[in-house]
Amino acid sequence: MIFLGIDIGSLSCDAVLIDEKKNILSSSVIPTGVNNMEAIARVKKNVLDASGIMEKDISSIISTGYGRTRVKERNGAVTEITCHAKGIKHMIPGTRILIDIGGQDSKAMRLDPDGNVVDFAMNDKCAAGTGRFLEAMARALEVDINELGQLDKGATSDLVLSSMCTVFAESEVVSLIAGGTGQKEIAKGLNRAIAARTNSLVKRVAQDISGLPVAMSGGVARNKGVVKAIARSMNIDKVHTPETPDITGALGAAIIALEKTLQKG
Amino acid sequence: MMYEHFDNIVKGITEKLNHDPDGINARKKYVLAISKLGKKLYSRDENIAWCGVTAPFDLLSAMGVTSCFVEFVGAMLSSTDTAGFFLEKAEDAGFATDSCAYHRAVMGAVLENAMPEPDFIIGTSSPCTAGLAIVENFAHQYKKDFFILNVPQNYTKDAVKYLATQLEEMTRFVSDHTKRPLSKQRLSFALENFNTSTSLLKEIYDLARTKPSPVDNKFLKDFGTVVALLMGTKQGIDICRAFKDELARRIKKGLHHASKEKIRLMWIQNRIQYPFPINEMLDDLGAKIVVDELNNVTWEPMDPDNPFESIAKRMISIPFSMGTAERIRQMQNLAKAYRIDGAINPCHWGCRQGTGARGLISKGLKDINVPVLNLEIDCVDSRNLAKGQIETRVEAFIEMLS
Repeated sequence: MIFLGIDIGSLSCDAVLIDEKKNILSSSVIPTGVNNMEAIARVKKNVLDASGIMEKDISSIISTGYGRTRVKERNGAVTEITCHAKGIKHMIPGTRILIDIGGQDSKAMRLDPDGNVVDFAMNDKCAAGTGRFLEAMARALEVDINELGQLDKGATSDLVLSSMCTVFAESEVVSLIAGGTGQKEIAKGLNRAIAARTNSLVKRVAQDISGLPVAMSGGVARNKGVVKAIARSMNIDKVHTPETPDITGALGAAIIALEKTLQKG
Repeated sequence: MMYEHFDNIVKGITEKLNHDPDGINARKKYVLAISKLGKKLYSRDENIAWCGVTAPFDLLSAMGVTSCFVEFVGAMLSSTDTAGFFLEKAEDAGFATDSCAYHRAVMGAVLENAMPEPDFIIGTSSPCTAGLAIVENFAHQYKKDFFILNVPQNYTKDAVKYLATQLEEMTRFVSDHTKRPLSKQRLSFALENFNTSTSLLKEIYDLARTKPSPVDNKFLKDFGTVVALLMGTKQGIDICRAFKDELARRIKKGLHHASKEKIRLMWIQNRIQYPFPINEMLDDLGAKIVVDELNNVTWEPMDPDNPFESIAKRMISIPFSMGTAERIRQMQNLAKAYRIDGAINPCHWGCRQGTGARGLISKGLKDINVPVLNLEIDCVDSRNLAKGQIETRVEAFIEMLS
């Protein structure tokens, strides 16, 4: 049996195909763009083509992400909170605190020893501290978003960005550049700002995280600068990240599709 | 505009009720009574007082005054999706966009002459000082006299005496403006009506506690706060009786909507006022709001021989009047009595009551193993609605509880 998970977020659309033993057969991550229906069709085609599996062979599809109800062929829709928890349980077993920084939402989740969500907190309405924020900052720094994660290497100052509103922060970054502050110092300041926000979210679900393994999922987990800054902010040695953090939600959705099918017998 | 709105509702519901004279129709009768009150306010045939939420409406009614709390109009504008215009007017006049939208909408209505001019104003220090500041603004705008009831936060003998004395002063203030003295007989009738309504309210809440509960997500929406406007009248008794009969009928006929009650929820403070399908969303997810924080009887019966002290005790007993610790204790009692699985706190933007105590409320309920979802939503200003984010939060919360 084959199961498909589709995570349609505001920035990226991800899909994962698994078999009944939870082996990943193929995965795909593409930009959502302005037409999410097109993105859904394309990401599905990508995973089918890559695995050589026919659409008719898929036993069940679970969709997640903000556009979860846009997946017409779904057998069910589950929120990204539950799906990321399910996905991380498979990728990094034993995770008790999960951070997911998505395109427009940041989330902190506390998981029980079985990987179930027992509490969660999400960012306020503004995009501060989200993937969209990082995208705007990369634009202001005139670097590719993928370069941002390494940009703070060698930074020595403790620059503090005074504004965490995406719009104001962008203009502040522009002012810092105009004032001669180096890219790496600004990048470090941005990472620290995101880390402070993220740490605040984590504290809402767990005041004391001692002894609780922390992991991070979502595309921003590829940004090593942010991940390290979060670990420093939380005063822990390491924030664990999966090899492919961007597919965590889609993988969780595929696993839920499998589990629901097995439950039905 | 508002008079026509209420008049249309009254005509429409009256026609429907005439076609079903033997039906219970609790919610229709309730909306009819509230709309009639709205019509009275806007027709200005009687003395009118705009008030704070915890004002003694039974006492004012006994004195021949049509009275209402100002937030009622904010909620009404929001529910008809017309609040945006008035909110903008208030903002144009300098009211901050992150202030409470109940008050901002109503302030916009005042500035646009869409509120009936009162004869006087009764402000209350509870539930919030922002509401007090707004009615003070009204008084300034309309050049009307303004009486403040300072509601103490502690339930002590001295506090009760302090408020009772103020209530006596208030009756003199009202009499000075209406040129009518307080009739002890009319007050006794009002308090007897209030007591009868209270007994019925207790029966309503007892029935709602049943598992599965006969309520649906809308049935008792904001009921406790609004029905307080009518409880000193015969109409209030009729409304409460209709709700009790409707719930008893649902239980008798097995109309429990049990399939939609896999998760039992408590809603903290007021509901979302503008059209937003959260009730339908909860239905789809198999979750039911079985109790609202403010649907609770926290007072003893009124004593017609000792009216001011009785009313003072009642006013202090309301959850918002006392400190957060007492409010949390009352919530914990409700959570246990209704056997709820989780609670939703909308954390209405700009609200001291809604957001100020949220950490303590979350902790207080978590202490008895009741998870809390803090929504961070503006319950009145739909311009601030991030639909997708709210849906994800609610759905994820129900998934977590499931």
